[in-house]
This record gives sequence, C-alpha cells and structure tokens, in this order.
Amino acid sequence: MRIVIAEDDALLREGLVLLLSGEGFEVVAAAPDADGFLAAVAEHHPDVAVVDVRMPPTHTDEGIRAAVKAKRLHPKLAVLVLSAYVEQAFATNLLAESTHGVGYLLKERVGRVEEFVDALRRVAAGGTAMDPEVVAQLFARRSDPLGRLTAREREVLALMAEGLGNTAIAERLVVSDGGVQKHIRSIFAKLDLAPTDQLDRRVAAVLHYLDG
Amino acid sequence: MTRDAFEALERLAGGLGTALLALLTLAFWVLVGAACVVGVGLLMLPAMLALTRALAERERARLNRWGLEVVSPYPVGEAPVGWTARLRAARADPATFRDLSWLAVHGTLGLVLGLVAVILPMITLREATFPLWWRFLPPDMWVTSFGVPVTTWPAMLAVAVGAVIIQVIAVLLGPRMARWQARSGVRLLGPHPSIDLSQRVARLTATRAGALRAHAAELRRIERSLHDGAQNRLVAVVVMVAAARRALARDPALVDLALDRAQGAAEQALSELRGVVRGLLPPILEDRGLAGALNALAAGSQVPCGLAVGELGQLPLSVETTAYFTVAEALTNVGRHSGARRAQVTLSRDRDLLRVVVTDDGKGGADDGSAGTGLAGIRRRVEAHDGVVTLSSPQGGPTRIEVELPCGS
Repeated sequence: MRIVIAEDDALLREGLVLLLSGEGFEVVAAAPDADGFLAAVAEHHPDVAVVDVRMPPTHTDEGIRAAVKAKRLHPKLAVLVLSAYVEQAFATNLLAESTHGVGYLLKERVGRVEEFVDALRRVAAGGTAMDPEVVAQLFARRSDPLGRLTAREREVLALMAEGLGNTAIAERLVVSDGGVQKHIRSIFAKLDLAPTDQLDRRVAAVLHYLDG
Repeated sequence: MTRDAFEALERLAGGLGTALLALLTLAFWVLVGAACVVGVGLLMLPAMLALTRALAERERARLNRWGLEVVSPYPVGEAPVGWTARLRAARADPATFRDLSWLAVHGTLGLVLGLVAVILPMITLREATFPLWWRFLPPDMWVTSFGVPVTTWPAMLAVAVGAVIIQVIAVLLGPRMARWQARSGVRLLGPHPSIDLSQRVARLTATRAGALRAHAAELRRIERSLHDGAQNRLVAVVVMVAAARRALARDPALVDLALDRAQGAAEQALSELRGVVRGLLPPILEDRGLAGALNALAAGSQVPCGLAVGELGQLPLSVETTAYFTVAEALTNVGRHSGARRAQVTLSRDRDLLRVVVTDDGKGGADDGSAGTGLAGIRRRVEAHDGVVTLSSPQGGPTRIEVELPCGS
C-alpha cells in the first residue's frame, strides 16, 4: 500500500515514516506543508494520505483543507487526518466531503500500532475511521435519545461510529457476530434509522444521526 | 529665565484679577449672609450661587489657558427651576462647597500673592531711582514707600540696593508664587476626585480592552506553543517508542535509532515546556527579584549593556513581569536590528510610576506600527497595565524606548 504523509514537524514525520515502513507500507513521499502534499499526491497517486491538521503558514486547519481538496481532486484517494486535539468542526468538515475512505484520529493513536494500522487499512479500503474521542463528544451531545439504548447497545453504536465492521465490533466486545447484528438491529429501530448493510452508509447514517 | 519671570508675572496679574472679583464676591456673600438673618437675603441665594459659579468658570478658563487642565464639575443638562429646587441642587452638588472654599482661599491668599507680584515692581522702580530725584522733593517727602524717613545718601543707596535685591528674589520666586496662586483653583475647582470618573472609565475601558486583547494573544501563544511544541514532541516520543517496540522482533538494529529519537523528542518536549513556563512568569524574577533578573538579561545581551537600577521599593509582581519583558524584548530588538555598540537600561521609581528606559547607539528607525514586532508586544503588555510607551528612534539613531508603568495600589 502506497502512502503520502503531510506533517510539518520533522521528528514526527520521520517517526511516521519509520513506523509505517516498518509495518510494510510503502511511504512514497513525506511533505512538510499543504502545497508539497498536494503536489506529492498528484505525482505519486498514493492509496492513502496521512495528513496533520495544523501546518504552516497559519497552523490552524491547513491539513483539513488540503485533505478535502485532495479528496475532491482524487476521489479514489483515502485520507486519514491526524489531529493534536479533537475539533468537532474539523471532523464535520471532513465528513461533509465524504465518509468514503476518510479517517480522523488523534495523533497519539499512532502509538497503538495495531489499531492504527487497522484504521489505516480500513480507510484505504473505503471505510471510515473516527477517533473514539470524536464519537464520545458526539455522544455527549445526544445524550437524551441515547438514553433509550442499553449500555451494550451504546458500546456497539460507538464502535459503529468509529467505523468498525461487525466482525471487528464482535472481536472488541468479545461477543458473536450474530449478537452484534442483533444489537445493531435494535439500535436502528430505537433511533428510527433505516437499516443498511453497506458499511460506509451505515457509518454515515450513525454519524449524521449523532451530529444532530 | 526672563521669559519665565514675565510669564509668572502675567499669571499672577491674571490671578489678581479673579482674586479681586473673588474678594468682591466674598463681600457680597457676607452681606447676603447678614441679609439672610432678616429674611430678604434668602431670595438672593440663587443669584449668589450663579455669580460664584460664573467666577469659578472664569478662573477655570484662565487656568486652562495656562495649561492647567481643570474640568468643569457641574452636572450637564437642564438647570432646575425655582428657588427651592435650585438651592437643593446646589446643596447636593459637592462642587458648590468646593467653589465656596476656593472663593475664600483665592480671594485672600491669591489676592495677596497677586498684589505682591504686581505692586513690588512699582515699589522697586521708585526705590531704585529714588536717589536720582529725591533732592527735588521737599524734605518732608524724603521717605521710602513704607513711610520710613531717609535723609542721608548712604541710607538712600542702601534702600535702593535692598529694593533691587528683594525684587530679584521676587523674580526668582515668581513661578513658584504663580503655582501657589493657582493651586487652590487646581485643587478645588476640578471635579471632586470621586466624581472624576467618566474620563477614567473611558480610559479604563480602552485599557481593559487592551488587557483582554493581550490576554487572548497570550493564551493563543501559549496554546500554540503547547500544541505545536511540547505536545508534538510527546506524540513523536509515542510514535518512536511504538516503532521501537515493533522493531524489536523484526529489526533490532532499528530499535536503538528509534529509542534515540524518542529520547531526543522527550528532551525537546521538556525544554519546550520550560520555554512556555518561562514565558508565563520568568522563574528568575521569583528567584532573584527584578534587579537580579535584569542583571542576567543585561549580562546575556548580545550588545554590551549597562544597567542602572534606582531605589524601586515594593512593586506588584505583574509590574515587575511587564518591566522584565519590556527590557527583554527591547534588548532582543537591539541585538537583532539596531547594529548598536552599546545599550543602556535604566529603571527608576517616581512615586507611583516605574520608569524603564532602554537606549542604544544604533542606527535607529525602529517602528512599532507593524504588528508582530517586539515593540508592538511591549506596547500591548504596557497598555494593559495603564502604562505609556514612548519611542524615539530617528533614522540614524539613537533609539530610546521609555516605558512608564503605574505601580500604585
């Protein structure tokens, strides 16, 4: 899998390259800013881009804007955005463009290598990866209707919102696939959502619901 | 010197004019007061109050002409109608009693000072020239201005010389006498200290906005240096440690490299945190006090820097911090832009003001108009404390930054 990295901090850039190369990914370019990143994407046509939110010159949301732009220019490109802190507006901006092949994670998740690589592969395969922190903030906003769900259903909903598939959810919660499906049907019924089997539509529906 | 003397004389003479009117008004007040006993005087009270105010306004205008700012304290708006309403309003207004106090002081003390200043030159002129023409007078008029008979030449000369000496002293004292004469007006005719709020409020509103702006800018700076600095380093530590762990099994040679990077990143995170904390409140200020902290700054300056710290007394910590940052920023500017060979930092305390002056012999041309320069930062911090920054930096130098910080309670 071919990856382009956009990260302005030299040490972190080096670390990401080192880590991802070690995991068997092919890092074809690592750019220190948005312009360099867009040029690298145009040149190398990577499968996934890993993009830091804050980059020069203003150190605000360059990464999000660059990610949205790259996604528009190269619809097949998957984008995983890394952020120093959760900013709901960033996640919303990103998801407004597409839930297909999009991820938004806190930077330190990179350290949990297996989960990070899993999220990266999921995004590259056209799925979604939302940081648990983002989901938790969304949950906090919609605490009222979520009160109708059981504790286990809320856990399942959170993992669905993070972008995990049924099998992955079953593994995390140590239950059977059938059990997960039962929970999901119940959740969709209680929240009045149209059931769908397609994973990215399901994530979109859940996130859209949570975003109010 | 002569100009000062003439200006003082002019002021004293002007003061004499209002003092005579004040004396006259005082006399009226005495008459009206006496008339009040039998009743008719009561009817004249509103007119007397109006007369007093008119005279006070005249004195305010005169003082303002001489650059002593005295703001009229009377309430703005419709004057009350009717004898009772007018008296009640006058009684409620602290300015009324302050006006009357001024009338009493100026009509007596101010009058005497004015008279001395105006009449003394005439007496001097008579006494100093008396030796030239006393012979032409009949002997019974051989007296000084104060009626002391003089009959001999030595006595005559002594009087003339004495008059000149007294006049010289009067000329030297002139400016001071003018100040004494104006003092009652400055103290009593302005708004009562507790009333003079509107200007203060306007000024505070402006400086408060400045303080909030400075505060927000500070928070932004801290947030940024934490997120983009220390936090990024820590993320790098996490990533490098993760890489090292993953490499343990596969590629042990990589482990050392990754751990080395992780250690470096952790050290950088620590130094960035130190930087952020130092920016909040320089620990050296707490350890060594302002003078010690400035000593360290001067010693660390790129350009040789002299330091003179006067007796500063107790200063609030926020003022010390601002003074410290002012000097730090100014010396950084000197080192970066001025091309100076020497810099000088001077701190002095003048009652409620801390004065910080940084000068250099560089090429000048410093400009605090552009945002983002150290000078703009100094201005923000100082104005947040109600202080004043004065910058003088002509092309070719020298540059002088003067900062005045109020440090009273």
